[in-house]
Amino acid sequence: MAPILKLDRLSKNFAGLAAVKDVSFEVEEGGLFGLIGPNGAGKTTLLSIIAGSIQPTSGSIVFQGHEISGAKPYHAVRAGIVRTHQIPKPFRGLSVRENVEVGLRFGRSKRAGDKTNNAMEFLDRVALAHLHLMPASALSVGDMKRLELARTLAARPSLLLCDEVCSGLTQTEAASILELLCDIRRAGTSILYVEHNLKAIMSICDRVIVMNSGQKLAEGPPEAVQNNPSVIEAYIGKAAHK
Amino acid sequence: MKENTAGSKNSVSRFMATAAPLVLLLVLALVPLVGPGPNTIRLLFISLVWITASVAWNILGGFAGQVSFGFAVFYGLGAYATAISLNAGLDRVTSLALAALVGATISLLVGLPTFRLRGPYFAIATIGVSEAVRVVMTNLAVTGGASGYRITEKGAFNQHLHFYMALGLAAAAVAISMWIRHSKLGLALISIREDQDAASDLGVNPYGTKLLAHALAAALAAAAGGVYAGYSAFVHPNGVFGFDISVAILLMPIIGGIGTVWGPVIGAVVYGLVQEELIASFPQFHLLLYGGLLILIILFEPGGVLGLINQLFRFVKARTGVGAHT
Repeated sequence: MAPILKLDRLSKNFAGLAAVKDVSFEVEEGGLFGLIGPNGAGKTTLLSIIAGSIQPTSGSIVFQGHEISGAKPYHAVRAGIVRTHQIPKPFRGLSVRENVEVGLRFGRSKRAGDKTNNAMEFLDRVALAHLHLMPASALSVGDMKRLELARTLAARPSLLLCDEVCSGLTQTEAASILELLCDIRRAGTSILYVEHNLKAIMSICDRVIVMNSGQKLAEGPPEAVQNNPSVIEAYIGKAAHK
Repeated sequence: MKENTAGSKNSVSRFMATAAPLVLLLVLALVPLVGPGPNTIRLLFISLVWITASVAWNILGGFAGQVSFGFAVFYGLGAYATAISLNAGLDRVTSLALAALVGATISLLVGLPTFRLRGPYFAIATIGVSEAVRVVMTNLAVTGGASGYRITEKGAFNQHLHFYMALGLAAAAVAISMWIRHSKLGLALISIREDQDAASDLGVNPYGTKLLAHALAAALAAAAGGVYAGYSAFVHPNGVFGFDISVAILLMPIIGGIGTVWGPVIGAVVYGLVQEELIASFPQFHLLLYGGLLILIILFEPGGVLGLINQLFRFVKARTGVGAHT
């Protein structure tokens, strides 16, 4: 299948510190691609560069055949790339429904064959419809994560960038979010899923890239990556590995 | 049955939300016909001018959370633009439209560089712009410099005409504010206020949206300055460009309830009445009162007078089980 996203030698320096260094990979159309690595590996920075929140120092990002590196976040959204945040960022002064309305009204136009056209339908997909009138500030962390997903889906992404959607959740909550990601993928949206938790990402992704200290360490199917000695070393340390 | 009750309750709320402002507008329109003294009309006129300026500031400061200390720039330029237009022989409505256009245009010049800044840096930049414009206007010979600029009246002074112009403008400002609150633009502004980066990540263009809101707000503030200039027939830099004007325009929505439709209206009425009643007797006392009021509001009720009213309704509702306020 043709890649929906292609990164070529992407780098980002912060005052001389290389947060992302020469990272290249491709995400296949309709795929669920995992991006893992220990703390400080550069995962969120890479996600922010793709989403347009951070400008790359060098390299290129090609999305659906178009060069988009350096595009503003709202241009990336209109092109079809929408992200969630590791720490949910709800619009606290708006109701749950109004939060989704922002994605619905400012995101990408409705695609052919897309029947979902109402904030309540997106809330229904993440099981939050019953809380639609509640201020977003009153939601639990788990529900805030669901709200993030609902409003990003309302923006109609072709590529969904998920940043640690399971962090801070109970096992049951995390399992239901992972199930939701699988549903989203089945509905035709490609997903680039950044996660710190190896177990979560290995269970649902068809391909995984591992980052460490801003660089790509390994890439491949989950089983192969899981048994890669350099990945084990990056996660649990050289001494422990020996 | 339950749904029917909720539905009819919503219909009543919607009817009240539409009817109440229209009734208020009608009552205000009838006031001059009842025959109150010129001082009462003057007091109402001043309050209506402040309502327009306060509602205008709230579009940018309240809905979008961009705290500007520079609205005297638009108020003053609107006053001068109207004065010059009237002296050039244009009618009052055209002069006000021109003032609004000047305000919107200048807002773009101010906004293009300042909206690249955020939070306190934006606020500080607007103070700089405001002071720069005041100094320029104080030294600009063509508009009379520090001595001010006089409008040559072509007919007899008609206080009622000025009152109705101020009333029409204030009604238009409130209608625009109500529309914005429930529009796509309002949703974008509030999302920017709540979290600009998250709004941008959902497709909102923060820079363009803020520029648009700024232009709308500046046009209204300039028209308010124009209505005031038409009434007073004389404008001078310290009177319309003074920092106290910028602070007053910012203070009114905070007193009434920032980020709401009716808060700025309530704040402007409170401010107008307090200022007019106290300033003559105690020239500095009103500043002390505003300062005290601001501290009390920030400490105890950030929602302002409107927040206080809502709390009161909730209290009454909790005690009696009736009187739900929407």
